[in-house]
Amino acid sequence: MKRISLFLALILSALPGLRAAEAAPATPARAAYVMNFDGDWKIAGGLPEKALLIGLQGLANRSAPRLYIVHAEGFPWEITGPLEDFYARKHGVKFTELKTTEEALGHFAQYAKGYVVWDPTVMPTMNVAYTIAGLEDAVVVTPALIPLAERHGLKPIDDLRGRYAGQTDAQIYTDAKRRYWARCSHDQLILLGGQRGDIRIPAIADWGVRQKMFFHDLSANPIHADELALEKQFFSELNPGGTIFGWHVYGKDTEEQHTTLISTYGLKMEGLQSLPNLSFNCQFGFTPGFKFTNHHHVAPDTKLVAEPKVYLSFVQSDGIGIGVWTKPGRGRLPLSWGAIMGWVHFSPAALEYFHESATPNDYFIGGLSGPSYMYPNHIPANRFGLLMKEADDLMKVLDERIFEIMDNSAADGNLGNADLTKETVDRYYAAFPDVAGFINGYGPARTRDLRDGRPLISYDYYIDPRRPREEVTADLNELIALNSKRPYFLLVHVRESNDVNSVVEVVNRLTGPVEVVPLDVFMKLAASKQTYTTRYQDPTDPKHFKGY
Amino acid sequence: MKRILLNLLLVLVLLPLAAVAGDPVINGRWRLDTTRSTALDGWSTADVVIAADGSKIGFHYDMTWHTTKVAVSQSVDTAQPVAIPNFFRIDQRHMAVYAQPKSAAAVTATWIDGGRTLRLEAQVPLETSQGNTTMRVYQEFRLQEGNAELVLIELHNTRSRPLVYHFTKVAEATAKK
Repeated sequence: MKRISLFLALILSALPGLRAAEAAPATPARAAYVMNFDGDWKIAGGLPEKALLIGLQGLANRSAPRLYIVHAEGFPWEITGPLEDFYARKHGVKFTELKTTEEALGHFAQYAKGYVVWDPTVMPTMNVAYTIAGLEDAVVVTPALIPLAERHGLKPIDDLRGRYAGQTDAQIYTDAKRRYWARCSHDQLILLGGQRGDIRIPAIADWGVRQKMFFHDLSANPIHADELALEKQFFSELNPGGTIFGWHVYGKDTEEQHTTLISTYGLKMEGLQSLPNLSFNCQFGFTPGFKFTNHHHVAPDTKLVAEPKVYLSFVQSDGIGIGVWTKPGRGRLPLSWGAIMGWVHFSPAALEYFHESATPNDYFIGGLSGPSYMYPNHIPANRFGLLMKEADDLMKVLDERIFEIMDNSAADGNLGNADLTKETVDRYYAAFPDVAGFINGYGPARTRDLRDGRPLISYDYYIDPRRPREEVTADLNELIALNSKRPYFLLVHVRESNDVNSVVEVVNRLTGPVEVVPLDVFMKLAASKQTYTTRYQDPTDPKHFKGY
Repeated sequence: MKRILLNLLLVLVLLPLAAVAGDPVINGRWRLDTTRSTALDGWSTADVVIAADGSKIGFHYDMTWHTTKVAVSQSVDTAQPVAIPNFFRIDQRHMAVYAQPKSAAAVTATWIDGGRTLRLEAQVPLETSQGNTTMRVYQEFRLQEGNAELVLIELHNTRSRPLVYHFTKVAEATAKK
């Protein structure tokens, strides 16, 4: 027991986020400001003021958590409101609302030394402006907002109008790299992608400004050779174990391409570009006495024996905080959640909020593929062990026993080849000696294994939120018919925007000896009788993207 | 008299063949009407181009999934069963059900309903998480009155709910629109 305690103490001391938590006083009351954003992110509408405010948030939150933003209904991250309540309730934060940009500048212009002007007709200038903002303590303004900034005593620091007119993205970021990269963080980089066209959602920019990161939206698509080459330069110059925050650019390249590229350098991906408030969240540890306690349903050394029936288990692996968690119905059936392990470092309160509000049917699992989102078939061998050690340590802190893997490098979105090579599977079994099992995929996949009583099971089904529930029912019943041996282990991925109540209705209409079980029970049962094949990625399986 | 008997015999022999010949209006490009059909999953759009020539009927499927385009061609023969590797059907691609490698479906084709319906019956080898299995697929391509609509009804021995796909005819010239 002492050895276990010592081991846990070592893990805790190794985690900066937890050190902050331990050092945190018993949550004395503190004041902070909150702004409530609407949903207008149009370049020609609400974006310029929001871009200013988000950058200002990064500056204001440099030395203390002073400004928090609650986003409108329909925003990708639906937890900003509940998390505000959590801060008030558990950390004694007394929020005062600021209603206008004018008010926000009135309070926080003191943390800026000036302003930098970006050009809405050359959108990469917004990213360059954010890079400058972090380095020079500037707010980012469009020409129309210059009078507003100057009313608050801010002076021009730089003006990007005209500097990059007519240049390609690769040319713009090459110049920006020459000017600013040496002074930026080499542990973290911001990929401020996401929407194209007339909308941008740079909600993560506060974090990039606070941490003095370089901002870009370069493409990882091989057809954009200049951009790809430049991005490779950045990745090769990041410190080992570095993290890319943000998201790829929709329409310019794909999630699969970008995550493959990042993984190839052994770097970590933390999405999305719309992830808000990290500059605020990173400054709160766990509340005194808090300890992660997962809702395990079976002890690690317990052996279960599967009966001749169909065992279903459901997993929601998209970024927790997007979608289902705050919707009605959660808790009505056992559902596993892929918590974002990296938030231990930069958003501990959010993880505590999820654990605090979990029902007995909510079960947390580790992932995704590593300490953050990565494609393991492409992680360099000399980085794999270190990354997975980091993931394994985080799982112990979070009291997680099942690890989720996803490699869509050869897939076509949520379709196609999501399988792991045998070499990759070998590495996982070696790197996680204590987990109860692994799951794999996003869409369906066919990598399966069972070693030392620890299964690796891929998803047999993916519930598209738009698919009519009667067809989902028919699909699941068909899988049950096609897989006629009993027991049958049917692992289902629930896309984040699904409604749990409707999944319950589907389950009620399934035929045969069906039982929905928590994932840890599912793994123990799957270990007791292997009715599934052992299979890995076959070199002859089709690959949608063949890599770099 | 002998010639009359011979001609009569010839008519009797050829009559069944004539009766079961397919209606040539089935030839051409048919586009899936997603609003009236069983919900697609893993496909965005579907076209099928049918080309009947004697006893042989060619199917060419043009499928899309966002920016991905998939084209598949296969032929059946009403005169004899055929073996088709990776037999194409408008599958639900979010199910872990895959074509069995190095195997072929045994497919028979028959014109029925006076040549207005083409019936396909296939034994399709598949791979699932429990290994290899076979799905019996029954398809009817039914020409509708007016010849502007084609309905595909598909049954599986493993699915109690039929799949119903409504297609409308489109001219090749407008196919890319």
